[in-house]
Amino acid sequence: MNDALHQLLQNPRIWRGTDQAEAPGWQGLASGYPRLDRHLPGGGWPQHALTEILLEHYGSGELKLLMPALARLSQAGDSDAHEPGNEPCHKSCNPEAGWIAWIAPPFEPYPPALVQWGVNLSRVLIVRPKKASETLWAAEQALSSGNCAAVLLWSEMLDDSASRRLQLAAEKGQSWAIAFRSLGALSQASAAALRIKVTAGCNGTDLGILKSRGGQPAVIHDYAAT
Amino acid sequence: MPPANKSPASLRGANPAPSVKRQRSLALEPPPAAKRESPRATPVTRLWLCIHLSALPLESLRRDNTSFARTGFDNLNDLRGENVAWAVFDEQDGIRKVLLANREAESAGIRPGFSVNAALALLPVLELEQRDLQCEQRTLLSLAGWAEQFTSFVAIEAPTVLLLELAGSMRLFTGLQKLRQTISEGLGEQGFSAALAIAPTPLAATWLAKAGRRVCIQDTANLGSALGDLPLTCLGWPSAVYESLYGMGISRIGDCLRLPRQGFAKRFGAGRLLELDRAVGRLPDPRVSYRTPEHFVSDYELEEELRDSELILNACRVLLQKLEQFLLIRQLAVQRIDVNFFHLQHPATSLPLGCVQPDRAVKHWFELLRIRFEGLLLPAPVIAIRLQAGQGQPASAGTDVLQFSKKDRRRQSLSIAHLIERLGARIGDDLVHGVSTVAEHRPQYAWRPELALSGLPQRAAAPALWKVRRPLWMLAHPEPLAVRDGHPLYQGVLVLEDGPERLETGWWDEDGIARDYFIAVNSRGVRLWVYRNRNKDNGWYLHGIFG
Repeated sequence: MNDALHQLLQNPRIWRGTDQAEAPGWQGLASGYPRLDRHLPGGGWPQHALTEILLEHYGSGELKLLMPALARLSQAGDSDAHEPGNEPCHKSCNPEAGWIAWIAPPFEPYPPALVQWGVNLSRVLIVRPKKASETLWAAEQALSSGNCAAVLLWSEMLDDSASRRLQLAAEKGQSWAIAFRSLGALSQASAAALRIKVTAGCNGTDLGILKSRGGQPAVIHDYAAT
Repeated sequence: MPPANKSPASLRGANPAPSVKRQRSLALEPPPAAKRESPRATPVTRLWLCIHLSALPLESLRRDNTSFARTGFDNLNDLRGENVAWAVFDEQDGIRKVLLANREAESAGIRPGFSVNAALALLPVLELEQRDLQCEQRTLLSLAGWAEQFTSFVAIEAPTVLLLELAGSMRLFTGLQKLRQTISEGLGEQGFSAALAIAPTPLAATWLAKAGRRVCIQDTANLGSALGDLPLTCLGWPSAVYESLYGMGISRIGDCLRLPRQGFAKRFGAGRLLELDRAVGRLPDPRVSYRTPEHFVSDYELEEELRDSELILNACRVLLQKLEQFLLIRQLAVQRIDVNFFHLQHPATSLPLGCVQPDRAVKHWFELLRIRFEGLLLPAPVIAIRLQAGQGQPASAGTDVLQFSKKDRRRQSLSIAHLIERLGARIGDDLVHGVSTVAEHRPQYAWRPELALSGLPQRAAAPALWKVRRPLWMLAHPEPLAVRDGHPLYQGVLVLEDGPERLETGWWDEDGIARDYFIAVNSRGVRLWVYRNRNKDNGWYLHGIFG
């Protein structure tokens, strides 16, 4: 390597994303899709952090992407207790199981389908704020309370400072925050640990990892295919 | 078990209350009555402490005013520090007479019985207030509630007397003297001057306290001599009776007791003889035990109309602290409270608060109140606040898990119940909910919102039905789709991938359906759940998105 470049890289003010990738220091939450896991640092979703999912329209396969991980969180609250899959696990309330909060969903989350994906319904909490400003407040409360294993929120008011707040709340409550945003947010800065663009195509759904703390951008075609 | 701890029921069983006929015969023949009582005389079964609040008309009013103005201060110090001469007057036959005067007023020469005009002539700066019987009653009730911490048996003898049965509490409070001292100090701290007397019968205790004898008699045998030299005035009989007794040269209770019983009953009525018999323990004297109501209601009257939300909230906090004390003593917790804000010109504003799990902590309720209060629009300034609590429930202590594994280290600063309450308080209780499935073939009825935290185990809803894929997103109301050349459109022409799945009928609740459901894909690759109505308009509708 060029000496001058090497010297420059020694400067402590320069931070390289790849440095972290080798030893992320945390265990990711397996997504249930091996091809995606391979591209995520820690081998899965970043827990205790904010994940942003950018999509053009609802129904692009964004929920399917999360379902195996959410199912596992709601069943046991433990990342290695159950195999991911579509088998509904009729286990009654496990006190360890984490709550899944849905804040301001655009449609009705359909419980029979959630059960088909293996989500424990007794751990699902749906919040429908009347005002847009309450969405972020509710999300922050849910994240920092420490009860919710995952908090899903749909908000168009998520700017840079709001995403930072959510990121901090997720760290505080050790919770996984998932924010769904429109593609228009692509140009905005965000404090999220992971930003993924979801686009539905004729041949399955494509994922584009735009930002990944400790990882590298990538594109995955038809992530559900084995 | 020592005889002192016998329950009232067993006592009553051992010595059934004599019938009226028996009482008469007892009244006629005292010696057999005494003989009958003698075996019971040695072990004392009951000990009554009488609290006689002689200055209650004065103290209840002053207490009412000061406690609202500056809660947290010692009222006694307030009284002393103010140095204002004041008195309570009462109106009898149109003449207003001084009933009681405080120390400053008395040192200026004002005595009970003065007419109001005479008192004002003597001391023009004297503050006068009319006697408030309701206020006295309220104070007495709250004192009875306070006294319940010392005994399970508190009786209220209006207007100024409380009776506490202490025999059962002696062991817990390590002795009678200590108990008496605790009660006396407690009364003093609350700003009451009271005369305390202890005797084996309630009437004897009352008379001794009214006469100002701070005695403690534990043996029934000593009662006669202790009561003997009390003046007749402490009996509380009509003045006509006193006059005729004075005319007979009788001025002490002891003289009364020495009178021939038959003649006494004839002259003054069997009732008065019965009272004397009960006082010296010849006859049982059953009392009604007071129980504080299990519902909490408390008012906070502000000195002036308030708009400032911080000040109003502070007043609410004081009420919540009272509620916590109330519940703590009873080991209760409540699930609902009502806060009412009163206005001068408008009807009161009500703010009901509820929580998922019964709670009594000030911190928790205040947090909820603050969130709800922020969203509350008050039509006018507030002049008074009332806090009402719902039915109390036995408080259950939650168990915490010892933290061993890494997973346990999740910091639970807030329990899920508190989170749900907090969200519900700001957003609306009905907008925060859980879900459950219902065994129902019509898609729109196959689920229902569930009270969060119901903790219901999942119902095994018809599994056969769920072999067919269901979409993760449902539309609250199916959306009609445009049709071109017989093909439904939604962001492009829809291609039917799977179906039809025919779902029919629902005649039992008049919301029957006849639909063919399909899984369709539009040109952008979005999977949709669409159906075709078979009976009505034959139209296409969008019902779900597979997400």
